[in-house]
Amino acid sequence: MSEIPIYFFIGKGGVGKSTTSALTAVHLASTGRRTLLVSMDPAHNQCDIFGMRFSGKSRAVAPNLAVREIDAEYWIRRYLKETRNHLKRTYAYQSAFNLQDHFNVLQYAPGLEEYALLLAFENTMQAADGQDAIVFDMAPTALSLRFFSLPSISLVWLDELLKLRGTICEKKEIISKIKMGACEFETDRVRKKLDELIQSHARLKSRFMSPKTHVNLVLNNDRLSLSEARRIARRLADIGIDITRIVVNKMGPEETTDDIAETFSVQQLSILPLVPGGILGLSNLQRVVATHCDVFSAIARSGR
Amino acid sequence: MDEVARGKAVETVEYEVEELENIFALLVLGVFVGIPSPPIQITMDLMPEMQHECAVMLAKVSTAHDPLGELFSVLDID
Repeated sequence: MSEIPIYFFIGKGGVGKSTTSALTAVHLASTGRRTLLVSMDPAHNQCDIFGMRFSGKSRAVAPNLAVREIDAEYWIRRYLKETRNHLKRTYAYQSAFNLQDHFNVLQYAPGLEEYALLLAFENTMQAADGQDAIVFDMAPTALSLRFFSLPSISLVWLDELLKLRGTICEKKEIISKIKMGACEFETDRVRKKLDELIQSHARLKSRFMSPKTHVNLVLNNDRLSLSEARRIARRLADIGIDITRIVVNKMGPEETTDDIAETFSVQQLSILPLVPGGILGLSNLQRVVATHCDVFSAIARSGR
Repeated sequence: MDEVARGKAVETVEYEVEELENIFALLVLGVFVGIPSPPIQITMDLMPEMQHECAVMLAKVSTAHDPLGELFSVLDID
């Protein structure tokens, strides 16, 4: 089965990631592609843009278009509950007895928020049957970069832990052979879990680097936004993720993209003009999409 | 006689395995005692499978004040 094209929209806070991702989703849906727009931004602006309430369950907003909001806290709670139940099953009764207090604290552990987003991403992809495209409205830079780099960083740790575990297992086999002459050995549960984790993180990493994954960097034509965009592109390049398109949003009529063109290739640029008062409501989104069809066709084409 | 020799032969390897398991536990669960640790989900995902390693790590705490004594005992030096 071929991979579904996915479109990420990342960038500095306030540059218009939510609007640009909503416009792209509306364009994709209008061209007959069954499209899911997923809000990964904790600020969840999609409800204001569409003027509707959204939740973790997809809600249809137009023909071929549904919207879903990711609640990171829900995914953290769900993950901790599953881990706690697993611990209770595998540990002796006394060891697992007082775990609740620790888990109440662990929900605030650094790093869980981006992992919650990864779990939600995996869940979205697994439930994506029947979709032709998925658009992700991402969180501001810091959280998005941690989200994209988590599989790569985790794999570095997991590979080293697997090496150490391999040494432990080899020595345990030697002991069993000498003591009991055993030829068959019990599968090491930790090594099995490490293998599973390596597989799932490698799958996520390769999905982020797939030609069907399109990372669109949204920026405004100002120095702060451009500086941050450069840093984002550099950080993503470090982990092997390329920027597909640069969306210059809120361009004034007199402005030029000369500064941006010094850093990014002109062929990569998609330019959207400033719309006074913002773009709110489905009909306004559709109007902007119809007026700038070439811009959204270029973004969508990269996903074919 | 053979059994005694086998027992002696594996004692040192068993000690080494315990040390490696302790290191593994410290690497994975170090976040709880302030040691640089892997991303939190690795710790959380492996923890349910590591009851034995946790027990080894806790047992090592009680002998941590006298590591040389423990080593001498494994090597059978009086």
